[in-house]
Amino acid sequence: MNPRRIALIAALLLGLTACGDESWHGKSIEGLMPELEFELTAESGETVTESVFAGRPVALYFGFTHCPDICPTTLARLVAAARRLPEPLREELQLAFVSVDPQRDGPRQLSDYTDAFSDRMVGLTGSQRQLKAFTRRYRTTYGYEEERSDGSYNVSHSSAIFVFDASGEPRLMLLDSLGVAEIAADLERLLSREARNADNA
Amino acid sequence: MKIVSGVLLVIVLLAGAVWWVADMTPAEPLEIDNPRIRLVPGGAPMAGYFTIANHTDSPIRLVSAASEAFGHVMIHRTIVSGGDARMEHQDSGVLVAAGETVAFAPKGLHLMLMGARRELQVGEDVEVVLGFEGIEPAEHSVTFTVVPVTSS
Repeated sequence: MNPRRIALIAALLLGLTACGDESWHGKSIEGLMPELEFELTAESGETVTESVFAGRPVALYFGFTHCPDICPTTLARLVAAARRLPEPLREELQLAFVSVDPQRDGPRQLSDYTDAFSDRMVGLTGSQRQLKAFTRRYRTTYGYEEERSDGSYNVSHSSAIFVFDASGEPRLMLLDSLGVAEIAADLERLLSREARNADNA
Repeated sequence: MKIVSGVLLVIVLLAGAVWWVADMTPAEPLEIDNPRIRLVPGGAPMAGYFTIANHTDSPIRLVSAASEAFGHVMIHRTIVSGGDARMEHQDSGVLVAAGETVAFAPKGLHLMLMGARRELQVGEDVEVVLGFEGIEPAEHSVTFTVVPVTSS
């Protein structure tokens, strides 16, 4: 098979995959996972539930602050994408960072960290029981690697951003391979559809 | 008159040849480009990024990194598989083959700079000593620039 034909077939296959997923850049998780529900500790130190988002759509990422590479990279992309949203969608979207490393990420640490990205990003964490329940609910995991001699350790975590609509329904998983433009396009599409539905209701 | 133009021609040709030869010779056997540290607040580790170009005809290996501004610096790689992310310590360092360039970039190879000894500011310079095998001198002091956490 010549290279041009292989390229053509690859392009067709990619096109089909995109169509099958309603041409989202991310992965649609509509109807595949339960609605948003949790009990965690906010960066303010208060115990909060999903009602902390006050019926607004949420883009949520699981990570930890001692994660110098992928966490800031992903959060920075999310913040840049959110900034590209037209008003009033930009004001609507809530950003959330859930630390799966409560031992190191107390309220102060979390709030310093999330403030560096956006004043609209809220930091959350919880007990192992709370975090396990929450991550399991969205079929993701986290784990701790062996401690080094200086007491530091690595944490494995989900690499995707989970997007929930205003009613707390899970809608999209934005994989780490997506760039700012793709994340922005998906968020705008989801949020403007939401806004239309709200107008019609 | 003829002699003068002949001499001029020779000078021009010589200058051209010198310029051409200078252009062909790589400036440094080892070239580190765009060294930067992404500032993270709150005492959490930061990532250092750069590219290493090996202009020699033998492989070199980055085996260590240290900085007076940080308690400890490690060479790490982020691995994403099946939707999960984790970091992998590069026990045997990072090989840069002859004539090749290796990028330390977001979501891949990075320096993990831990335990900042002072509060850093965006725009500040931080010296990091990179240690190599396969090249002399083994230690290269590189000036990294502190960049915002939201930069790539």
